[in-house]
Amino acid sequence: MTFETECHTVGVLIASRENVPPQTRVNRVAENFFGSTSLDAVAIVEGNEPVGLVTRQKLLFTLFRRFGFELYGRKPVITVADTEPLTIHKNERLDVAIDMALQRPVEDIYDEIIVVNDSSCFMGLLSVKQMIIQQSNALANSMVQKEIAKARIKELENIEKIKSQFIANVTHELRSPVNAIIGLAELMKISCEKGYMDQLNDRLSLLMSSASNLRAIITNILDLSKIEAGKMEVIYEGFDMAALLRESAETTRVLLGNKPVEVDVITPISPLHIVSDPLKVRQILTNLLSNAAKFTEKGKISLLLNEEEGRIKIIVCDTGLGIKDEDISRLFTAFTQLEDVTTKRHEGTGLGLTITKNLIRMLGGSISVSSTYGKGTAFEIVLPKMSSE
Amino acid sequence: MRKRILIIDDDVRHLITAKEILEEEGYEVITHHYAFGATNTVRVQQPDLVLLDVNMPGLSGDRLSKVMLSNEKSKDIPIVFYSSNDEDSLRKAVSEYGVKGYICKGSIFDLRKGVAYYLGQSQ
Repeated sequence: MTFETECHTVGVLIASRENVPPQTRVNRVAENFFGSTSLDAVAIVEGNEPVGLVTRQKLLFTLFRRFGFELYGRKPVITVADTEPLTIHKNERLDVAIDMALQRPVEDIYDEIIVVNDSSCFMGLLSVKQMIIQQSNALANSMVQKEIAKARIKELENIEKIKSQFIANVTHELRSPVNAIIGLAELMKISCEKGYMDQLNDRLSLLMSSASNLRAIITNILDLSKIEAGKMEVIYEGFDMAALLRESAETTRVLLGNKPVEVDVITPISPLHIVSDPLKVRQILTNLLSNAAKFTEKGKISLLLNEEEGRIKIIVCDTGLGIKDEDISRLFTAFTQLEDVTTKRHEGTGLGLTITKNLIRMLGGSISVSSTYGKGTAFEIVLPKMSSE
Repeated sequence: MRKRILIIDDDVRHLITAKEILEEEGYEVITHHYAFGATNTVRVQQPDLVLLDVNMPGLSGDRLSKVMLSNEKSKDIPIVFYSSNDEDSLRKAVSEYGVKGYICKGSIFDLRKGVAYYLGQSQ
């Protein structure tokens, strides 16, 4: 492992600038050590040049020996100092400095290191202990950085996976109706060639429904791209929500065809004027109601409208297939993104509900869903009555 | 004797078109809508070739192929994926599930040629 990018030069780590001239008496230097417990070493500097080093430990050891004070107390400090201390340039790298420090004899390993500038002038002292702490912090930090980088790579791989699954899904969803259209057109051609004109009508209906199905998917994909690119604009205007609801109910009845399903609209207040984007509200309702119509074979689809505290609440509920608990969380995700296209268990693209959720969010509202599998589903939408703009 | 082909798909449009196109070629074609119950149809009908859609709700074609290939009565019947999926994913699925091959939906020419090829291979 390299510390190149993590490593400091030693200049910035100078721990102390304590220094005395060489002729200072040992007693005086000892007093300095007694006076400051954090002072571990003093450099001996003559002019601007370092000429020696005394450490607390070694000086006190000398003085506290028998007759130590008497023998050395009044002598110049240079006589008891290490006159060849490790001296390094301020631009030396931390790891190199540590290596040099650790190559010294055991009894000198923790001695401070003198730092000099380009002109060999004294700059300060380095504490070996502090350098080691610094180095191990750098090591720990680089490990953390490595973990962060690893997590990021994983995240990118995941995004890449989702992207390719999205493309695989889009490929299938677009190709499938196109292929049906081509196949049906081919069959119609064969029918024409053989003069089987009675088959044409059915095939034409299938072809047209495949084409509308394809158009709906393309519109959804384009809408979702627009929303994701932030290009979808909201145009506010006043309109009657109750009327819009009744209109949507009418469309739902058409979608249901001959299925024995009633469509109820309950609007206690009518008209109910709100300021929002009517086209987007219509799209939201169409998405929810076409799902309800698709998955309800019999019973009822109800539309409830209420007003409370400056907000309107719309509930779309049906007595349809319902949604399994484990599928609820993936409901608002396009193509239920994490699902592999080849092992896909779910019908539909999931685009409609993803778009619905995004549109509601753009209008300042929220959507929630509750469902019992086999019994039915209820979507609840809350929208502000007036735009905040 | 006419060769018998079974098509399994959740999309009726694909069942209708493939069936008619292959019938035009002189094959006997049976269809099975959705994956459920398909294994039984295979066992009963003993087709010469199965055209199997991949994306089907409930049980996907690739998983269904695994079930068929592990069953004594259907393991020797050649299966070919017939799908709108991307070719790369189909190639991968073919080697992963050990089916005979794949035919991409959308080209009648490929369908005719593919079926003739795989039927010829199984003789």
